[in-house]
Amino acid sequence: MFDAKKFIDKTVAKLKEDVPGKALIAFSGGVDSTVSALLVNRAIENQLIAVNVDTGYMRKNEPDNVKKMMKELGLNFRFVDASKEFYRELKGVEDPEKKRKIIGEKFIRIFEKVAEEEQIKYLVQGTIAPDWIESGGGLRDNIKSHHNVGGLPKTMTLKLIEPLRDLYKDEVRKVARELKLNVSERQPFPGPGLAIRIIGEATPERTEIVREACDIVEKEIERAVEKGLMERPWQYFAVLMPVKTVGVHGDKRAYGNTIAIRAVQSVDAMTCHYSTIPHEVIDTISTKITNNLKEKINRIVYDVTNKPPGTVEWE
Amino acid sequence: MVRIYVIDNGGQWTHREWRTLRDLDVDTEIVPNTTPFQDLQDEEINGLVLSGGAPRIALDSNLGNCAEYLEKAEFPVLGICAGHQFMAKFFGGWAEPSKIPEFGKVELTLLKEGDILFDGVPKKSIVWESHNDEVTILPKLFDRLAESENCKIQAMRHKNKPFYGLQFHPEVEHTQHGEQIFKNFVKMCEK
Repeated sequence: MFDAKKFIDKTVAKLKEDVPGKALIAFSGGVDSTVSALLVNRAIENQLIAVNVDTGYMRKNEPDNVKKMMKELGLNFRFVDASKEFYRELKGVEDPEKKRKIIGEKFIRIFEKVAEEEQIKYLVQGTIAPDWIESGGGLRDNIKSHHNVGGLPKTMTLKLIEPLRDLYKDEVRKVARELKLNVSERQPFPGPGLAIRIIGEATPERTEIVREACDIVEKEIERAVEKGLMERPWQYFAVLMPVKTVGVHGDKRAYGNTIAIRAVQSVDAMTCHYSTIPHEVIDTISTKITNNLKEKINRIVYDVTNKPPGTVEWE
Repeated sequence: MVRIYVIDNGGQWTHREWRTLRDLDVDTEIVPNTTPFQDLQDEEINGLVLSGGAPRIALDSNLGNCAEYLEKAEFPVLGICAGHQFMAKFFGGWAEPSKIPEFGKVELTLLKEGDILFDGVPKKSIVWESHNDEVTILPKLFDRLAESENCKIQAMRHKNKPFYGLQFHPEVEHTQHGEQIFKNFVKMCEK
């Protein structure tokens, strides 16, 4: 069986050999990068710099929460607001693979810039097994290019360090619990962020819509879990579909977009089944989203696809 | 410690096979399917898993060095998905694109009681699938062990050798008795 304590000891010892000096970590505030940060920081005695990038495709209040978290963890950190640049690079881009590749490359260029200023040669990433498996290569087909693997540019100056490469999320959570990290039970959030929860072009306006919808889905599902109405899903969010349908708002015709609710149960993200959300909870989510987003959204659907054949995120 | 290697045919779940074996305290490694058989023998392995993969067995005739492994192995071999389809073709059976491919949740029905690979697995259980092709003609030297509604050859066993083929995926979390199947396979390799 996987032994978190042994893993920590072995990994810290190996990192001491592999990383002879300062390093930089791509820090999102999720469980993978937080665990990686702590392990590396321990190995190189606080010579780690955590870099968090606001891509503009973050969840509601995420940049503030991450800043707070980096302080609490006692990490040396840099916060980069690159939202305008990301929006500009993704202008007119609809293809999901193109979105992922553009975002992956942009991340690296930002890290390279910080690394140059700080004279750092090593880039730590919280890559876990499904990231490189699904990114493909060799015999393995490309399912989607995870920003930290398949989204990496062909040429980069930094040397990659990925201490969690052979682990799945349930194992990373075990390590996080062993390290007593609050982040251990946090739901996964993809590196490309809300950009891949917007089908079609990820404009700032459409990002605001899906950001609000994701926030409502998260809050209502968390409330239902606390009340004991349902099991905590592995991941739960909203997707903005470019499908317009007719509705009626206060005796007037409405013609707005559609939001899909997605919630799945899984242990390791390699197989999933859709979550059974009680109708009363879906009902509340549906009413809140359509009322808050008014003319923008007038239809809500629920995604009942397992993995396979679906994947968790839509893009 | 029993040593079982996983031959990587490029599957999404190859690494899951490795993890399942490791969790059962097996000495295990993932090796590319181009590894010569002699290298495996030099490592003194006790069993082999042939993973699934993106290659279409119904359309291609080769799968790395898998033919050499099946020709020479005297230890147990477990072929999964593409590995299973390749095993069927190697021994004179056939694989073709499925009329109705299966993705995700499927009910498996065991046809024979008492086979050691399915020891402790009930007659009906939930398994997880992901295949475009399937075995359509059972090789003469094999017995059919399990089926589903849309796929008649979900599991097969060589009559004289410890070789098994499974169309479904025992290595994923969502397959109800997958770990039990792996435990049984490991036991077979220990002998």
